[in-house]
Amino acid sequence: MSTKRKINHDDKGLIFNIQKFSLNDGPGIRTVVFFKGCPLKCAWCANPESQARRPEKMYDEAKGCQIMVGEYRTVAEIMDVIMQDYDFYEESGGGVTLSGGEVLFQAPFAIKLAQAIKEKGIHLACETTGYTKPETFNEFYPYMDLIYFDCKQWSPLLHRQGTGGTNEMILKNMQTVIDSGKKYCIRIPVIPGFNYTDNDAQHFGELFGKMGVKRVELLPFHQFGLKKYADLGREYQMKDVAQLHSEDLLNYQKILQDAGITAQINGW
Amino acid sequence: MVMTKVAPKKTVGNFGKLTAKMQRYREEIFDAKPYVDPERALLTTEAYQQYQDQQVDILRARVLEHILQKMTIFIEKDTLLVGNQAQHNRWAPVFPEYSMNWVIDELDTFEKRSGDVFYITDEAKEQLRKIAPFWQHNTLEDRGYAAFPEKSRLFYDLGLIGADGNITSGDGHIAVNYETVIKYGLVSYEKRIKEQMDQLDLTDINQQKQLYFYQAGLIVIKAVHDFADRYAQLAEKEAADATDQQRKDELLEIARIMRKVPYQPADSFYEAIQAVWFVHLILQIESNGHSVSYGRLDQYLNSFYENDVQAGKITAEKATELLTNLCMKTLTINKVRSWAHTEFSAGSPLYQNITIGGQTKDGKDAVNPMSYLILTAIAQAHLPQPNLTVRYHHGLSDHFMRQCVEVIKEGLGMPAFNNDEVIIPSFIARGVKKEDAYNYSAIGCVETAVPGKWGYRCTGMSFINFPRTLLIVMNGGRDPESGKQLLPNYGHFTEMKSYDELFTAWDQSLREITRQSVIIENTCDLALEQNYPDILCSVLTEDCIGRGKTIKEGGTIYDFISGLQVGIANLADSLAAIKKLVFEEKKITQQELWQALTDNFQGPGQEKLRQMLVNDAPKYGNDNDEVDQLIVQAYEPYIDEISKYKNTRYGRGPIGGTRYAGTSSISANVGQGHSTLATPDGRFARTPLSEGCSPSHSMDTDGPTAVFKSVSKLNTKAITGGVLLNQKMSPQLLRSPANCEKLVLLLRTFFNRLHGYHVQYNVVDRKTLVDAQEHPDKH
Ligand code: SF4
Repeated sequence: MSTKRKINHDDKGLIFNIQKFSLNDGPGIRTVVFFKGCPLKCAWCANPESQARRPEKMYDEAKGCQIMVGEYRTVAEIMDVIMQDYDFYEESGGGVTLSGGEVLFQAPFAIKLAQAIKEKGIHLACETTGYTKPETFNEFYPYMDLIYFDCKQWSPLLHRQGTGGTNEMILKNMQTVIDSGKKYCIRIPVIPGFNYTDNDAQHFGELFGKMGVKRVELLPFHQFGLKKYADLGREYQMKDVAQLHSEDLLNYQKILQDAGITAQINGW
Repeated sequence: MVMTKVAPKKTVGNFGKLTAKMQRYREEIFDAKPYVDPERALLTTEAYQQYQDQQVDILRARVLEHILQKMTIFIEKDTLLVGNQAQHNRWAPVFPEYSMNWVIDELDTFEKRSGDVFYITDEAKEQLRKIAPFWQHNTLEDRGYAAFPEKSRLFYDLGLIGADGNITSGDGHIAVNYETVIKYGLVSYEKRIKEQMDQLDLTDINQQKQLYFYQAGLIVIKAVHDFADRYAQLAEKEAADATDQQRKDELLEIARIMRKVPYQPADSFYEAIQAVWFVHLILQIESNGHSVSYGRLDQYLNSFYENDVQAGKITAEKATELLTNLCMKTLTINKVRSWAHTEFSAGSPLYQNITIGGQTKDGKDAVNPMSYLILTAIAQAHLPQPNLTVRYHHGLSDHFMRQCVEVIKEGLGMPAFNNDEVIIPSFIARGVKKEDAYNYSAIGCVETAVPGKWGYRCTGMSFINFPRTLLIVMNGGRDPESGKQLLPNYGHFTEMKSYDELFTAWDQSLREITRQSVIIENTCDLALEQNYPDILCSVLTEDCIGRGKTIKEGGTIYDFISGLQVGIANLADSLAAIKKLVFEEKKITQQELWQALTDNFQGPGQEKLRQMLVNDAPKYGNDNDEVDQLIVQAYEPYIDEISKYKNTRYGRGPIGGTRYAGTSSISANVGQGHSTLATPDGRFARTPLSEGCSPSHSMDTDGPTAVFKSVSKLNTKAITGGVLLNQKMSPQLLRSPANCEKLVLLLRTFFNRLHGYHVQYNVVDRKTLVDAQEHPDKH
């Protein structure tokens, strides 16, 4: 498949994986559609193959050779895969989760796919950073039954330093969801050297208090992505940073809870 | 959207520990080394010599009687249940009447085996050599070989149709009616036999034959009664010698119980469980067929337990201790198989199944307090045997399911699940009465039957090697290895014009093999019927007494059997590779493929070709219709053909008397893989075939939902003999309660919506698993 821009992929989305029976992405038994391409560039990103908005080569250990990651697929093609597990969604109260990369980086396609999924009456969730224009976001989120929001930083400046973009749009979109009455879940990836200080926890507490957030999940930093950087032939800045364990977040959790926010640690 | 109820907030897991006594008993059993035990063989030989003039039913009854009178008995210092199979725990008795040649041939190699090692003393070797001449041309095996039609024998000798178990062993694969045994005692059977005997008109030769069966029945009932009495006497003697007061009391209680059951009805939980164990044990002294099963243990024990609890006679802890004792007693039973047969049944398992859960006769959830205690006992005892099966139905509570998952996490590969929602309707469709269909249990591991009413081998007849059959078909009907022309020549693969041509040849050839398997099975059944009736087993199975017939003569209410079809996934993947890569995309020529198979992919460029076969063709187990439909089609000629052939009991009393398909191949996939050259799915020669109807090893890349979908496309309704699905799961996955709940939801979907038949989870990594089979003592 050509990667040149001029090829018209309007009716297709760039997808790097569709995973059935994915366990940590919402209620019941779910299929997760992974969108490839992300406007941010977090140094700790555990799915580096999800960042570039083009198919790219990656080493596949099982096959012992390079494979292409990312494929342009139509809504119909993706729906065929999704519908294979329909019985499982229905029996288990599960459904589909759109993830990435960043779903909203391909917003027009994501909206089309979301429409198709909702037409089948399937429960739909997404995992997003919310880093997109509010107009786009407002068009997208009503299709969701549940939104997982990745909230990385309370400070716009530090957000830009760590991810390449500020958090203003993110917070605005987050507020939209909170006010809409939709089901949502805010997750903080807790990263040493980026948002792991007590000060960070205090500021998060204040921010959430203002926004009306009652409960967040804390995801301790892990090194599961390590090998992928090598497989992509890329440098990984975080390679020497020690992983965090659930118990490393107890103090962090306490600070948030003192601020009136229920914080659940989702250890790996 | 249908949301499944949330699990109630009852605790799960927390099974607790074995009592100190049972912990000691467990260690004692694990410390026991397996020896080949000649005692039963010597006693059997004596009895055969003494009673060879008797009618066969009487002869067989006298053999059991003689063994039970003379065999060594003992009571281990930490057991509450009594009854032993051999001179020591884990020793394996020899059953010379079924086959003796291999025992003699292997006397010096038992200790040198690569797996399932058995020790043997020089004295035992000497004793066995001495009796060997008596058994020459005088065993089931000899009689079977003598009776094989020549052509069918070839299929057997070349291993294309495996039937070693059928021709070197008793039948097994049965559960008797324990409910009646404990509620009414053997005395009730005795009474019924006498009534029947009184009505015989001996001028009718058929009724005269019945007389022998009845006489034999009375002999074995008395023999069992006397055998129990031997334990009572031993317990009294040991009680007299005991210095410890607690043990003295225990022994006296054992003596009291053994004076009573199983001859008299049981009146307490302790008496009932002892009676069940005792009968279960004797069935495995009478015959060495494996998969002798307990049936629905929770259903027939629960009322005894609840009555005792109400009367303040027992606690849950005490009952659990007795259940763990039963599990450990079950593990003491051992069987030595020929090396050839060992390959088909690695790990010397005996598949003694306990079934729990399911529904009552009127379709209500049958889970009761005993079901939970059995789960607890299985978790505490932590043994490779007995096998535990849970009957799934849609009304099974989330809490019970979660508790099952907690046991799965123990890594014992159990409980396995069988699905009421499929099995019950398919039984009813075959003529099983509704109340009986609702009372089915698992036999062995996957297969199912109505306990106490069904003949032997609801599965466990012969094994057909599907992938090897394909190679023979591709080779113009000639076995590529031996060069023997086994099947009609429909042309060589290299000259075929299309996939359809290959499929037609497959269809015709598979039908022929199916016919040959029927002939082989019938030959074994004939020899077993004429020479090896199991009198006790027949007496305890309905309605042998009513008909005055042994099981093998058609004494049972139901009698459906099935063989096993091995290598389902290999066949699927092979057909898909041929269809796509050879005939459709023409990436590989017919000559290239055939040459590569002949060379076991060792020739120049053949590894690349093999990679194409592995990577570029769709694989069964990924919910891909392109390949899944091929196996559905390829299985159909077997399903259709086998349904045409009656078993040897047809028209002689039982409902059924017919056959159906089954894929519960246990570990036959390893043995049959040994005799199979390279296959078009890229599998190397002599490596194991796929297991049951599970996908080929690591070919299912799309997760468990896709595996379930693929499996569910098989014609499960017709494969009543069992659709075995073994799934592996990493222990990490089941660490979080949320994931355990997802496993429950996954199972529910498979069973409620996709009509799955069976599934079993192994949560250990592969290395541990193999190790566990080879060194069960370590685990
Ligand atoms: S937003 Fe997520 S996908 Fe994008 S770079 Fe950051 S961690 Fe990776």
